[in-house]
Formats: sequence, structure tokens, C-alpha cells
Amino acid sequence: MMNLQDFLTMRHEILLILVAVIVLIGEIFISDKSKHVIINLTIILFLLHTIVGFLPIQEGKLFGGMYQNDLFRATLKNILNIGVFIILLQSSAWIRKEENRGKISEYFILLLSTLVGMYFMISSGDFLMLYLGLELATIPIAALAAFDTHKNNSAEAGIKLILSSALSSGILLFGISMIYGTTGSVYFTEVAANFGKESLQILGFIFFVAGMGFKISLVPFHLWTADVYEGAPINVTSYLSVISKGAAVFIFTIVLYKVFGQIAEMWNVLLYVLAVLTMTIGNLFAIRQNNMKRFLAFSSIAQAGFILLGIMGSNAAGVTSVVYFMLIYILTNLGAFGVVSAIYNASGKEDMRDYNGLYKTNPKLSLLMTLALFSLAGIPPVAGFFGKFFLFTSVASLNDYKYYILVLIAVLNATISLFYYLRVVKAMFIDPNDNPIPYFKTDTPARIGLLICVFGVFLVGFVAAIYEAIYHFSSFI
Amino acid sequence: MNSEYLILFFLLGVILVGGAIVFSMFVAPSSKNSAKSEPYECGIPVKSDAWIQFNVGYYLFAIIYLIFDVETVFIFPWGVVMRDMGLTAFIEILVFFFILVLGLLYAWKKGALRWV
Repeated sequence: MMNLQDFLTMRHEILLILVAVIVLIGEIFISDKSKHVIINLTIILFLLHTIVGFLPIQEGKLFGGMYQNDLFRATLKNILNIGVFIILLQSSAWIRKEENRGKISEYFILLLSTLVGMYFMISSGDFLMLYLGLELATIPIAALAAFDTHKNNSAEAGIKLILSSALSSGILLFGISMIYGTTGSVYFTEVAANFGKESLQILGFIFFVAGMGFKISLVPFHLWTADVYEGAPINVTSYLSVISKGAAVFIFTIVLYKVFGQIAEMWNVLLYVLAVLTMTIGNLFAIRQNNMKRFLAFSSIAQAGFILLGIMGSNAAGVTSVVYFMLIYILTNLGAFGVVSAIYNASGKEDMRDYNGLYKTNPKLSLLMTLALFSLAGIPPVAGFFGKFFLFTSVASLNDYKYYILVLIAVLNATISLFYYLRVVKAMFIDPNDNPIPYFKTDTPARIGLLICVFGVFLVGFVAAIYEAIYHFSSFI
Repeated sequence: MNSEYLILFFLLGVILVGGAIVFSMFVAPSSKNSAKSEPYECGIPVKSDAWIQFNVGYYLFAIIYLIFDVETVFIFPWGVVMRDMGLTAFIEILVFFFILVLGLLYAWKKGALRWV
């Protein structure tokens, strides 16, 4: 029987649903003329929700073990909260535009409901809850990707996303059904206890990896990524590439460690191949891109390959390095996307050639973009370096020559990635342009968002306490 | 490791699906005429191509109807256990109604209930 105490355990979810319901009530009762109030209302409510999320939580399991919350999962949710807060700030200028009048609150409600899905996904204690959360996190995103109703490629992005995620969900469910059929349970703990390394169970596991691979956009399953990222509105793209990928990485790590821990040697081989493919192909395709959104899409595919290295570490340091890298990746990538979205909102340009000579007209934005790209590439003073460093350390600590080779491949790929990140920097600082993007003033919310990113990129790298805290929470996995 | 089950699993899948198709090919009587190639074998004859404008109002009505249809389905099991669970169940169904009614109000505000 549920009582009030139980509701405190799922405080994150309930508060977020409350925020979404308040926005919906606002949409119903606020007159059309003053709809803009909803934007600030949502941002303030979400800020409150983010702050409350850091208060100590009550650990526990609910619904017979289908839902569980502990310090580790609460930390993951808080990390996602920070990212979503920055995205809300960045999208404020875009959603204010005339073309989006009449669907302001829809954007926020859809965004918040996907986040609820991700919360349930992270907190799931069995495969059924994981699947439900995954669906709740995916279906509204397809509507968001098709949000620019006047653009054809936005609709294309939506339909591509819904079709490919339907396929991947099917594969995932097929895998789960095999695991259920052979172990007789969908609960994580019972599946782990009854896992007998039978071939049908291994097959189910491989289907599970394939299904999750779609969401994280690992290489054989990445084909939807670039088209969807290009077609979707830019703030939705940043949401897809950062928050949705982050949540999928988190639950993927949790399930690999908690449920399939016994066959760690087996999935290490699987992830080895996937990591090499993802890093290399993501990088090689990124070199040729000229559209900034496509470019960041392939860059995010390559980053997913690096994340797999940390998962392979198979120990507490491995989990820590993944969570730590995701936190840095969220801040860094949102910095890059923030600049791209600010430029798009002001001038409607998103081609790399349009960035030529940006430093002369908009020096602050160019410096910020440079900082974000350096962090993505992993150049020492910024946090991206530390993130990659811990990922590589975690896989090298397995102490086997084949993992040293993997680290070598990863380092080579990091060098290749430096080339295409620097291409953007070269365009902004060196390449001449007769009519560069004129000077413009970024709106205040987006400024605050970018400021958080800059502080985060330095702070997370230098303050060891953050790493220590994540290390401490990771032991609760 | 018992990979024979896996082989059996695949074989059964292929046999069941492929067998059904092949079997129906032999058994089913085949008749070919122009009505066969119509999109709808029975119904109004299709005259023009599909790229015409039509009223999406039907879909909106169908979706709103569906929400309240599903609501009813949820109320039946609730009604069965309501007496045992007491006040908790009552409050929970009120929350459920509240959110659904908000959905209806939203659809109303957006003009989905107006027939155009």
C-alpha cells in the first residue's frame, strides 16, 4: 500500500509532472495575448525543481521493485536537470518568435514529459519500466523534432525519428522477451540471479544492446542521427544530442553492470568493436560536414564511442568516468549548441562558411565557441581533457595489451577530431569574409545559459570535489 | 550452453512464417480481376489520387474519444479494488480525472471540438 512516505521517494518525478501540469493549466487559462508569461514561468519553475532535486532524497523501492531511487540515480537526474535548464534558457529566444506563437506551452510540456520518461528509465528496477520510460522519452521527441511546421525537413526529421525508434524499440522488446522467456522474470535482480549464459539469453542481450545502440547512436545503428539532427529545430537537436543520449547512456551502464555483470568479458568484446567503429566512422564523416548541425551530430556520434571506453572499465572508476564525462559533455556540447542557436536565431545561418570572419564582428561568441570546441576535442586546460583522461584511464586499468591498443585507437581518433574542430575555429578567426554575420546582441536568458556552460567547463575540470562526489555516489549503483 | 534451442528457435520461426506463406500459395484459390488491384476491394471506387486536402477533424475527434475510452477501461479495475484500498484509491482516481479533464479543456481551448 502506498503512503505519503513512498511519494517522497519518487519526488523528482512527481515534482516534474507537477511543473508540466502547471504549464498546461497556464496554457488553458492564460489569454493568447500574454502567452509569453509561460516561458519565464516554466524557466523559474524548472529552476526551483532543479534546486529541490539536490536536497537529500529518500532511498527505496516502490511498486514491488519496479521503481527504485538511490543517491546514484538522483545524481544522474540532477545532472540531466542542469542540462535541461540550460536548454530551456537557450530556447527562450527561439520559442518567442512569431512563427511559434500558439504553440509555446506545447514545446515545454513535450520537453518536460520526455524528461519524466528519462527519470523513470533511470529509476527503473525492471525491464518493463525501462521500456515504458524509454517510450515516454522517445515519442514526444518525435513531435518536437517536427516542431517547425513550416519546414519540410523538420517534418522529415520527425518521421525519420519515429520510424527508426519504432524499429529500435521493437528490437529492444524482442531482446527483453527472450531474456524474460529464459529467466522467467523481468526484474533486474532476478534476471541477474537466473542468468545462465544460455545462447538464447546471450541473443536477447545482443538485441538489447542493439536497441539501446539506436538511442545512443552507436555506429551500425547511427544512420538516423545526422538527418534528424539537421532537420529538427536547433534547440531540440541539442536536447537530443545531450539529454536524450545522456539518459540512454546512464541506463545502459546501469543495466550492463547490474544485470549482465556476469558476462562482462563477453560484452567487453562487443563494446570493443562498437567503440572502434563508432569513434572512427563518426570522426571520418564529421570531417566532411559543412552544416553546423550535421557537423555536431557526427561529433556527438564520435563522442558516444569514447563513452563506451569508460563502460568497458567494468569497475567503480569506470562508472564514475562515464558519469563525469557525461556531465562535462552536457556542459560543453550545450555551449557549442548555444552559440550555434544564438547565431541561427539572429541571422538564420547555420553553414560553416557563414562563420567565416565571425571573430571580427562577434568576438565573445567566437571565443566561447572556441572554448567549447577545445573542450570537445579534449585540450588540457578545459574540462573535456579530464573527462577523456578518466575514460582512457578506466579502460587502460584492465591491464591487457588489447585494451592498450584500444586506447591507442582512441587517442588517434581524438587527434583526428581535433582537425575538424579546428576547422570551425579557423573559419571564425582566419578565413576572410566580405559580409560576415553582423554584430548582434544575444538575449539575456541565452547569455545566462552560456555563462553556466563556461563556468561549468572550467569548474568541473578543476574542482576535484566534483569527481570525488560522483565517485562516492557511483558506489551505490 | 545449449545452442540447439537457438537453432530450433530460428528454424521454427522460418518454418512457421515461410510455411504459412507457401501453404496459402498452394491451397488458396486464386482469381485475378481488375477489382483485385483496387486499394479497397469493397467500398467506394477510388477516383482521384491520394494527394488531396481532407478534414483532419475526424482524427482529432477520434483521439479525444480514445482518451476517454481508455479512461473508462481504467475505471473498471479501479471500481473492483476501490472498497479494499479506501481513501488512497479515491484520491488517486481524482488525480487521474483531473489530468484527463485538463487534457479535454486544452483540446477545447485549442478549438478541437469545433467542427469546421
